[in-house]
Amino acid sequence: MNRQNEGNHQIKATVLFYAILVGLFVNLSGCATTGDNKPEVEVNKLDPYEGFNRRVFGFNDSVDSYVAKPISDAYLYVTPKFVQTGVANFFTNLKNINVVLNDFLQAKFSQGAADTGRFAVNSTFGLVGLFDIAKELGLEQHEEDFDQTLAVWGVPPGSYLVLPFLGPSTTRGVPGAVFDTATNPTSYIGAPVQLISLLNTRANAEGSLKFINEAALDPYVFTREAFFQWRKNLAVDGKPEASIDSDLDNLLGDDDVSVRPEKVKSGVEMNNNHDTSNTDPTLKSKDEFGQVSESFGNVTESFKTTVKSFEKANNKLDSIKVK
Amino acid sequence: MLLKIIKCIISMIMLVMAVGSAIAEEEVATAKQVVDKFQVDLIDVMKNGKKLGYQGRYDRLAKSVADSHDLTKIARIVVGQEWEKLTEEQQLKFIDVFTRLSIASYAHNFKEYAGESFVFDTETETKRGGVVVHSHLNIPDDKPVKFEYQLKDKGKSWRIINIIANGVSDLAVKRSEYTSILQREGFDALVAIINEKIENYSKQ
Repeated sequence: MNRQNEGNHQIKATVLFYAILVGLFVNLSGCATTGDNKPEVEVNKLDPYEGFNRRVFGFNDSVDSYVAKPISDAYLYVTPKFVQTGVANFFTNLKNINVVLNDFLQAKFSQGAADTGRFAVNSTFGLVGLFDIAKELGLEQHEEDFDQTLAVWGVPPGSYLVLPFLGPSTTRGVPGAVFDTATNPTSYIGAPVQLISLLNTRANAEGSLKFINEAALDPYVFTREAFFQWRKNLAVDGKPEASIDSDLDNLLGDDDVSVRPEKVKSGVEMNNNHDTSNTDPTLKSKDEFGQVSESFGNVTESFKTTVKSFEKANNKLDSIKVK
Repeated sequence: MLLKIIKCIISMIMLVMAVGSAIAEEEVATAKQVVDKFQVDLIDVMKNGKKLGYQGRYDRLAKSVADSHDLTKIARIVVGQEWEKLTEEQQLKFIDVFTRLSIASYAHNFKEYAGESFVFDTETETKRGGVVVHSHLNIPDDKPVKFEYQLKDKGKSWRIINIIANGVSDLAVKRSEYTSILQREGFDALVAIINEKIENYSKQ
């Protein structure tokens, strides 16, 4: 009984944490747009809060450089490879409870069954998940989370958000992360294990972060674009879809610019769906009050859209239940 | 006797056809062949990575990349509409630094070999007459990385214009970055950042 209370308390705390984050975000985004008085070209559809996001990105980058990276580097240096693999396997295995839930929520029943088997095998024969025996048996690790489930249900990603400490997300990703945290046993084990989990996450990201650092001309834009595409690809389970073609055609559409200027406009409009580069929030020329109320309005608007999509998804689920 | 003559004629015709098609194939490399050749070159450079050193890898890959990629077209696409705003001199300069950056990033990232291998999956045609070659890179003890090469017909042969790695389109990411920097900081800043990246690649 006591334990259950403790569990409820933890969930409440997690929800509260995200609520504070969202509140912080709403407040800061208002301030951020008022901070710079430079004129703006146009507001980007996917990243209307670029000014704010860039600040948080800079903050996260400093936290990473001065705190997370040194600790992670020390961890990678001190521990032998098999320990790192064991730790990574352990946390991946715990995450599989959430993966199974989301498999079923996305109606992927056979994958759900396979992932249940994966969790069962690794939790028992794999010594509480330290060894990935299931892989040897041909049971592949799937990547599913509640944000992907929402995508499958038709909820649009909403606006790009960079959350303090947590990194890239979207308005859809916030409720997604709340669900994932609530269904991950790591959230209930206790602070030391959670710290190791964070360390493991950072250590595993070392390769990607190093690559971004080396390859990106503008790490903020690089991360944002790659994040959107990566999430989209995960949501469709990496199936090559028609969008590859249309994405490329849109990009190539620009190539025709010099020949047929009238085509440019339509090409750019189409691009707006996934190309988030054409804006610069530091270039804005409205009065401060207007900016604050507008950016607040935008946030509420995108949350409203998300809530509406939730309702739609809920109705869909209800109709499935009736059947 | 008649049967023998007919058989002889048929075999002659077949021989001529076979030779003809072989010649035709030699003239125009298919999209798959272009990608195959490039991947073979990459693996080869990785295997000899240490021996070649950065400059050696760069020199070897310069030709492979030029033969398989349409870098001029890629350079135009990544700056988007900003291309029209550049002077002819700037356009040429941009193509030059962009080409060097592309080769340098290959020379830097493909320097070691640990049993990796490229595997061809399928080939599909796009609506605009392009081809997508789907393949993946098998990495020992790691998840395979999906590589989709988008190619366009360039005169006599096919050329890669985009690579999508695990769903992330190189062209789309670059385009966002380049147009963003051009709009925020201008052409000279972009060239300076690219040159800095090339230098960093050569050092490591």
